[in-house]
Amino acid sequence: MAEYWYIAEGFENRVQEYLADNGDSEVDMMFTVPEKDFNTAGKGSSEVKNLLKRLGVDSEVLRRIAVASYEAEINVAAHSHGGVMHSAVYDDHIHIRFEDEGPGIADIEQAMIPGFSTADELARELGFGAGLGLPNIKKNSDAMHIVSEKGSSTLVEFIIFFS
Amino acid sequence: MNRKDSKYFHAIQILEDNCTGCTACVRVCPTEAIRVRDRKATIDPNRCVDCGNCVTVCEFHAIIPSSDPLDIIHNFKYKVAVISSSFFGQFSEDISYENAKQAVLELGFDEVAEEAMVTDFMISVIREYIRQNRDKRPILSSNCPAVVRLIQVKYPSLLPNLFHQEAPMSILTRFLRDRISKENQLKEEEIGIFLIVPCVAHVTAVHQPEGAYKHLQDGAFSTGMIYGKVREIIKHVQNNPKDIDTYPHGLTWALSGVQAELVDTDDIRALSVNGTENVMDILSRVEDHYLDQYDYIVLRSCTNGCVGGCLNVENPFVAMSRIKKMSKDGDSKEIHVEELERLHAAGEFSVTPLAPRPIMELDKDIKKAIQKMKKINEFLTMLPGLNCSACGSPTCYALAEDIVLGKASIDDCVVLKRHKPEDDED
Repeated sequence: MAEYWYIAEGFENRVQEYLADNGDSEVDMMFTVPEKDFNTAGKGSSEVKNLLKRLGVDSEVLRRIAVASYEAEINVAAHSHGGVMHSAVYDDHIHIRFEDEGPGIADIEQAMIPGFSTADELARELGFGAGLGLPNIKKNSDAMHIVSEKGSSTLVEFIIFFS
Repeated sequence: MNRKDSKYFHAIQILEDNCTGCTACVRVCPTEAIRVRDRKATIDPNRCVDCGNCVTVCEFHAIIPSSDPLDIIHNFKYKVAVISSSFFGQFSEDISYENAKQAVLELGFDEVAEEAMVTDFMISVIREYIRQNRDKRPILSSNCPAVVRLIQVKYPSLLPNLFHQEAPMSILTRFLRDRISKENQLKEEEIGIFLIVPCVAHVTAVHQPEGAYKHLQDGAFSTGMIYGKVREIIKHVQNNPKDIDTYPHGLTWALSGVQAELVDTDDIRALSVNGTENVMDILSRVEDHYLDQYDYIVLRSCTNGCVGGCLNVENPFVAMSRIKKMSKDGDSKEIHVEELERLHAAGEFSVTPLAPRPIMELDKDIKKAIQKMKKINEFLTMLPGLNCSACGSPTCYALAEDIVLGKASIDDCVVLKRHKPEDDED
C-alpha cells in the first residue's frame, strides 16, 4: 500500500506525541457515507461542527475543521464505493478518519496536486470534482495521512489542534 | 416590552393566560430559545433572534409582537415616518401607492420618507463594499436584523463577512436628521424619526441597534398595528389627494430575490436566500467555504424577504406580486444622491465590528464542556428519540442538554414516564 504523510511545520512534536500515546478519545462519532449520495454527504461534518460549537472550539479553527471534513466526506461520496467517517474528539484536538471500500487512489502524489481530478460526470454535474479536495484538506489540517493503492480501499485521516 | 433580567431587548411577549403549552413555538424556533415548562412557554432572551416564527405559528395569540404606541410621536416637535418598502404591498389594488403614503402622513407626521428612496444608492454602496472586500467573500447582507443576530449566536465565524454598513432605513434616518435639523433650525433631539416595520426584528433593531455609532430612530410602529387606521384615513384621502412623491422602482428592496438581481453584475455574482431554515442551511455551507463562488448573498429570515414579515397583514406571495407590478408601472421621483454620498464619504453610515453572542458553548472550559457532552450523550441513549417536544424541549437532544445544564429532569419525558411500571399504578 502506498502511504502519504503531511505534518504542518511546528506540529511535529505534538503529532508524534499523540500518535505514540493514542489515548482514549473523549467523544466519538460515526457516520456512514453512501456511494454517490450527495443528499446525505455532508451530514457527518455538519454534526461534527455542531459538536465542536458546543465544546466552544475557536471559530477560526472550527471553520478549518468544517472545510477539511466536508471536503473529505464529499470525496468519499464522489469517488468511492461508499465508506465510513469516524471522528474522535480529544480535549485539545480532533482526529477524523475516513475509510472507504475502494477503488483506491492510483497515484497519491498526483491526487495531491491542486486541480487534478478523476471525478465522474455525475459528480461534476453536481458541482463537485474541481480537483481541490485532497489539497484543500491538507491546507486546513495540522497533519494528514493517506493510505491507498489502486484496486483497494483508501484511508484518509487528519488531525487539527484546537489551539 | 423586554425582559428586565437580560441585557437583550426583545419585541416579543408571552401572554401566559393564553398559552396552552402546545409546543408549536418550541418546534419552529431556529435557536431553540423556547421551552414549555409547567404548560407555559418561556423564551430565553440570550438565544432569541426576534425572527418572529413563534409569533406566526402561535394559534392562541399567546405570543404577541410588541411595538411602540403611536402617540409617542407627540413628544417631538418634528415627526417623520420612514416606511419599510414591504408596506405598499399590503393594500388591495384599488388603493393607490400615493393614497396609502398620504394616509401615513395624516396619522400625524410632518413628513414621510420611505426605504425605497435609497435603494439605488444602497446597491451602489453594496457593490463598492464588495469590490473593496474581495478577501472576505462572500459578503453577507446585513439589513435583516434577525439574520444578523442569527449569525452572532450560531455562526460567529461569519461575522467578518457581514456587510458592515447601516441598513437603508437607518441611512435614511441619518440623512433626514441631518437635513431637517439644518432646514428647520431644530436640535437633533427635537426631531422624532420613526420606522413603520414589517417584523419584530426591526422593532428590536430600533430599540437595540447592533453596531450603531449614533442615535438612530426614536421608535418603531408595526405595519399591522397602524393598518386599520391607515385604511380608515385612505377613504378620506381618496377625496382630498395631495401631491405625493413615490419611488416604485425602489420598492423591490422588500423582495430578497430582486435585491440579489439588482446587485448582480459582470464582476459580482449574487445569491438570494429567504426563510429561516434556508438561511441556516446556506450559512452552514458558507462556513464550510462551499459557496465561495458567490460575491454577495442576500439573506432574509422571512418568506420572500420583508414582505413575509410577521407584522404584515397580506400573504407574502400576494404582497410580492403587487410590489413587482407597482415597480414596473410607476415612475420614481429623482433622488439627489450627492448629500447621501457626502455623508457616506464622511463615514456616517459605518457600523462598529459586530461581536459574537455565543449560545452554543456548554462551558468556557473545554474539559468541562466535554464532560457535559458525555453526560448529554448518556441521557440521549435513555431518551426515546421521537423528538416529539411533549416534554417542552424541541428535541430529545435538547432535553438531554437541558437535563445536564440543570434546566430539566429526565422525568419531563412523557414517553418514558408512560412506560415506567411504578407510574402505571396511580
